[in-house]
Amino acid sequence: MNLYMGKMLVVDLSAKTVTTEPLRADWAREYWGAWGLALRYYTDAVSPEVDPLAPENVVVLMTAPLCGTLVPLASRMCLVSKSPHTGTIFESNVGGSFGPELKYAGYDGIIIKGRAEAPVFLKIDDDLVTIECAEHMTGQGIFETEKLMEAAMGAHGAKTLAIGPAAENMISYSMIGSESYRQFGRGGTGALFGSKNLKGVVCRGTGGVAVADMAKFLERTDHYTRNDLLCDDNLWAKTDGTPILVEVTNEMGIHPTRNYTKGFNGRKETLNSDAIQAAKLGNRACASCPMACGKFTRVNSAEIEGPEYETLCLGGSNCEIHDLEAVIRFNRLCDDLGLDTMTCGSTISLAMEMTENGVHNFNLRFGQVDEYLKVVYEIATLSTERGRDLAKGAKHLADKYGATDLSMEVKGLEMPAYEPRGNFGMGIAYATSERGACHLRAFPIFATDPHDIDALVTEVVNAQNANSIKWSLGFCDFWGTINTSIEADLMSTGLGEPVSAEELDQAGERIWNLSRLFNLATGFTAADDTLPKKIMERPLEAGPHEGRVFSRADLSRALQSYYELRDWSARGIPSSRKLATLGLDKTTL
Amino acid sequence: MKKELFANPDLCTGCNRCTIACSAKKEGVFQPSKARLRVTNFPLRGYSVPNICFQCPKANCLEACPTTAMFRDGSGVVRVNRDLCSGCGSCVSACPYGMVEQDAKGIPYKCDLCEGDPVCVKECHAEALVHATGDAALFQLKAAQMKTRPQSGTPLEKRHKIAETLKRSSRG
Ligand code: SF4
Ligand code: SF4
Ligand code: SF4
Repeated sequence: MNLYMGKMLVVDLSAKTVTTEPLRADWAREYWGAWGLALRYYTDAVSPEVDPLAPENVVVLMTAPLCGTLVPLASRMCLVSKSPHTGTIFESNVGGSFGPELKYAGYDGIIIKGRAEAPVFLKIDDDLVTIECAEHMTGQGIFETEKLMEAAMGAHGAKTLAIGPAAENMISYSMIGSESYRQFGRGGTGALFGSKNLKGVVCRGTGGVAVADMAKFLERTDHYTRNDLLCDDNLWAKTDGTPILVEVTNEMGIHPTRNYTKGFNGRKETLNSDAIQAAKLGNRACASCPMACGKFTRVNSAEIEGPEYETLCLGGSNCEIHDLEAVIRFNRLCDDLGLDTMTCGSTISLAMEMTENGVHNFNLRFGQVDEYLKVVYEIATLSTERGRDLAKGAKHLADKYGATDLSMEVKGLEMPAYEPRGNFGMGIAYATSERGACHLRAFPIFATDPHDIDALVTEVVNAQNANSIKWSLGFCDFWGTINTSIEADLMSTGLGEPVSAEELDQAGERIWNLSRLFNLATGFTAADDTLPKKIMERPLEAGPHEGRVFSRADLSRALQSYYELRDWSARGIPSSRKLATLGLDKTTL
Repeated sequence: MKKELFANPDLCTGCNRCTIACSAKKEGVFQPSKARLRVTNFPLRGYSVPNICFQCPKANCLEACPTTAMFRDGSGVVRVNRDLCSGCGSCVSACPYGMVEQDAKGIPYKCDLCEGDPVCVKECHAEALVHATGDAALFQLKAAQMKTRPQSGTPLEKRHKIAETLKRSSRG
């Protein structure tokens, strides 16, 4: 088979069985890979009311068709399940080289069901797949767990996915780490593994990925790499990586500071790209990527691949921590213990604001480094009262102490580091994303007019559709100029059969609508397409958008036009006409 | 002066474009496990080492070959003549750098410098691989990589041991 391996691995941890089944070719043609295909498998396997942490829940890990080839920035793989943090359908993806390795081992993806009686890890050595005892890894951080799994494989260089203590404790924003510093970061992917008693997966694959016509495939790959990818619009990833956004968002006045009180950080120089470059030891890349956006840094004895922009802001500015070494230490703790730095940072900044406002004393204050670092460990291990409080995320923390006006989340997912009052497009993106506040569905920060609702709604809808197929083909966000024509050409050449841009466009819309149907079936309604109170009521301080709110009236106008453009009802339900066009009219959701 | 292949681990990002491209050229599929160079990754320390064949002036692989299957061509490249190979595997254990491996039939394969136009170099956007006549700095790099010569172990173990040494001297 070209591009695909044609085989899924099915692991039932309750029954202790590992089987394979042929890849559903009919689904592959409609959902293509990664996000879309995992979503299709997932919605087929569970009922929407499933408890995310129950053995009945299923986790689908899926690679993408171009993953493992020389096509650059195409090696990401997706995890789809219902999130223990938000209760929504949830897609999270990771780069690195686990995805390619899984394909070299002969599988397009893994379906994980049930719950093991005691901690186990999954060992994939080409076609020899076994469930192994992981008792000796219990309580270990991600770094050590990966080392132990690699040793169990008996071969250096095996690729790994692992969880740390946070996920064993089923913290709803624990994550799955891979190759030390890469993550299925958001939505509690780690807790899903934890709930299944699955400590990790180690994989070695020695096979290959085939294409229809190698010479032509290499020629097309080279063409797009040189003439589209490696062009001015994308080269920031190579030179600076995400830290460049510190200056960009500050200039735009959308850089969250002091738990989203201000849109500008007066001390940004301590955490901007220049600061990262000064601490940099080298560049790091995912498989097949010529950009190497990962910057490996060291300050004193603290080293890490990163920190990335989201952590620099949510674990830095937004907590008023202006010390790169402290942010590196925070980041490394999260990466090893297994916490999402974004939710963790945002929950800490909330606790800081609650402490400073006198709502509740968590002994956490803006700019205070020692306690900020201490609490990360307390969260992951649930070892103190405040650790247990913060371990539930911003929404629960605010609810418990009556501070709902301070919690910065949508559908329970803490906001990324772009201020919606300064850019309404980000607000629309957060309100309408299927997984809560997320910047990876639409990213309209470069819009000409950041407050032109109609234009922004259109931009958000188009980006959501385009990204749905982009993530499904395993592409990285940072090939910013890619489009479905390029994707279709690469897919056609690789598969040896015609794939059109139009069918990829439609697949994107199909994926978006299927996610919506799942959320509606779990009980989410249009009322959940909303924004934090602070964004709608409290004027932004500092920066060019000082004084702005994203009012309820503006939001409801935006949503009305969003639903119309999507051909959804005023209550946010896809019309039967739209579903028929997308071939979703027979879905049981 | 003839051009040689040089590797600079300090610039390597661990992307594996080189191994993916090498396997595409040599095997017709994307299969890094069959590439003629390999990359040893240490993600926790942010370090990667491209393990390459040095086309050693005094090549152990060639010297160990009991037939004349291993030979040096006019441009100095150490090559395998499949027709003359007995499949004994002596070259595999003889190469101290782990750069000769055997295919399913027992016939060894190794880097042949792509007839003087290395594909791996073309795909290395980090300039961690260069094909050049070489200067003092490059020869120094090469000498450092050739210094550790594990005498036992599988090719993978040898490559890992060499990479560990290089990592230690660079990352501490
Ligand atoms: S295969 Fe090994 S011994 Fe032979 S030339 Fe290459 S590096 Fe030297
Ligand atoms: S020179 Fe050619 S054969 Fe040798 S490692 Fe590079 S791509 Fe492979
Ligand atoms: S292509 Fe270059 S940077 Fe990438 S792994 Fe190979 S040697 Fe390292």
